Amino acid sequence: MRRVLIRDPIFLIGFVIFTSLLLLSIGNTIFRDGEVAQIMIRYSDEGKLIAVSPLKPSLDQWLGTDRAGNDLFQMMIEGFKWTVGICAVVAFGRMLIGLVVGIPLAFRSDRLNHYFKMVLEGFLILPISLVALMLLYPSFIYADSTMIPPLFKPVTIEILILVLLGLPAVTLYLITEVRQLLKQEFMIVAETLGGSVLHRVRLHMMPHLIPTLVIVFMQQFVQTLMLLIHLSLFGIFFGGTVIIFEGIMPALFEWSSMFGYYFKQFSSTTWMNNHLFLVPAIALAALVFLVNLLTSRVERAFRLRRQEDAVTEVSISQTEAASSSLAGPFTLVHMKGSIEHDKKDKSG
Amino acid sequence: MIFFARKSVQFIVTLFILLAISALPSLIVELKFVPMNYWDALLQQFHQLSQLDEITYYNRTSQQVLPLLPDLAPFIRETLIIFATALIVSTLIALFYAYFFYRSGKLVRNVLQTICQTLEMVPDLFWLVFLQFLALTLNRTNRFARIEIAGGFAEYIRLLPILTLTMTILFFFIKWLTFHVLEQETTPFLELARAKGVRPTSIFWKHLLPNLVYRFYLFFRSNMITILSSLLIVEYLYNVQGLFRFAVINPQMEILLVILFIIYIPIFLLDLVIEWLIPNAWKGGV
Repeated sequence: MRRVLIRDPIFLIGFVIFTSLLLLSIGNTIFRDGEVAQIMIRYSDEGKLIAVSPLKPSLDQWLGTDRAGNDLFQMMIEGFKWTVGICAVVAFGRMLIGLVVGIPLAFRSDRLNHYFKMVLEGFLILPISLVALMLLYPSFIYADSTMIPPLFKPVTIEILILVLLGLPAVTLYLITEVRQLLKQEFMIVAETLGGSVLHRVRLHMMPHLIPTLVIVFMQQFVQTLMLLIHLSLFGIFFGGTVIIFEGIMPALFEWSSMFGYYFKQFSSTTWMNNHLFLVPAIALAALVFLVNLLTSRVERAFRLRRQEDAVTEVSISQTEAASSSLAGPFTLVHMKGSIEHDKKDKSG
Repeated sequence: MIFFARKSVQFIVTLFILLAISALPSLIVELKFVPMNYWDALLQQFHQLSQLDEITYYNRTSQQVLPLLPDLAPFIRETLIIFATALIVSTLIALFYAYFFYRSGKLVRNVLQTICQTLEMVPDLFWLVFLQFLALTLNRTNRFARIEIAGGFAEYIRLLPILTLTMTILFFFIKWLTFHVLEQETTPFLELARAKGVRPTSIFWKHLLPNLVYRFYLFFRSNMITILSSLLIVEYLYNVQGLFRFAVINPQMEILLVILFIIYIPIFLLDLVIEWLIPNAWKGGV
């Protein structure tokens, strides 16, 4: 799969863009202490006042500034690592717990799995953003900026909630995947030969499961991002919402919070023309598109690998050759060449 | 009989699970997990089951507390209209797309696949923004103001919410159908039908499609959560006077309980009828 991906230009371009943004964002924190330039007023060369913030995009401020004068380009770069980090942690958490719960359950009887499915049925019709909103609403609204607790606590609780709410669907999916794998011939043979559960999982199942896990991870990444966007539109920003004189503002400026924040500021006026709304909107659309694109390329690579593993013309001819061969009918065809080669070497 | 017994047990278990979910908001108090608080809320929700008609909500327009259940009817109707219309339209378009795809040559198929693969990556929220932008542009350039971009009290908005939800569901369905049409194309029963001279139209509608109906339904059911999440955000941002928006602006546990039941019960009944009606042969059985 890796070989296919390395030769795929679309995947490579997407990956390079994603990694560059991440490096820029981390670099901004390391080398500039995460600072964002503030420009409240723009003057002409003659010293005349041209505009006050929010400034429109220009050569000096590529994406313009917000009402507080923060350079939007720098804010987007600074916020990228938080958005990606949160989504990655949530997606990874869901997958990890899903695997820890799902794999042992998949090895159990049909009946137990049926009961488990029955219990989780309720979660499959549940709009997660609605429940997340209700869970977070009472604790994540701060009356003023002095009431914001250290970010570690709300962030940990929010991540935990986001992981747990998406967990049932991921666990059910992983159980189905593992049970499908358990029906494969190679797994039945491994069991017949006496391989322990741990051995079968580690040696036989994992190599087949990892590509699926990569795809699930990326899907969960996008789902988490969409959930964060939905919550921010409801006024629940990641890390908490501070009530200010003009309305509400996020405690932490990451992309989804910025989207909700600027959307709320301009939804009643000329928001469609305003760069403040459009910058995070287009950036988020591009991020979702990029991750979906990478997922589709990984899926493609996975599909191609599976096609390679499946019956090919060479393997058919090898099977036919093996069945018609009289000498050593139990020797694998592709082994024959090497055995004969070894014999020649020894006699030589 | 066993089927109905099994489904009844599933129904009761799920109702209890939904009850447990509806009490979840009480689990966190001032950034702390408080299990005792959750337990109390759970008991309270359980008692509420026998007094569903006593649940009230604060009506902002009339500025008074009103009983929930009779007032919820127009919200349910609005949500149902948008959801059902979007579902029917997207299913029909997806089916005709699948037929067109099936009848097309390699080149057309490649073009169609590339376009659809690109469009399905666009999230629902951005369809919403794009459609609002389009409506506003139409209004500005041609003075065409027939399309509402947001609803209000007693002002119904249907076209754009239905269109947005249709776009989201449509690309879901198209992706699944395209994959399965390609997969089914090489199956022996279709090869035999082709060899016997059955017309392609007949092969698609009479042989290929019935084989996919049940799996398509299973796919739809497993993706219900995504569709409902889309509906939630569509209702909220278009200001639709629907069930989900009602839940967002009235974040109370009792209201959440009622709304979860209202969502689950029709889905369960639909599932029951479909599982019962679809022939065993369509499910892959004998």
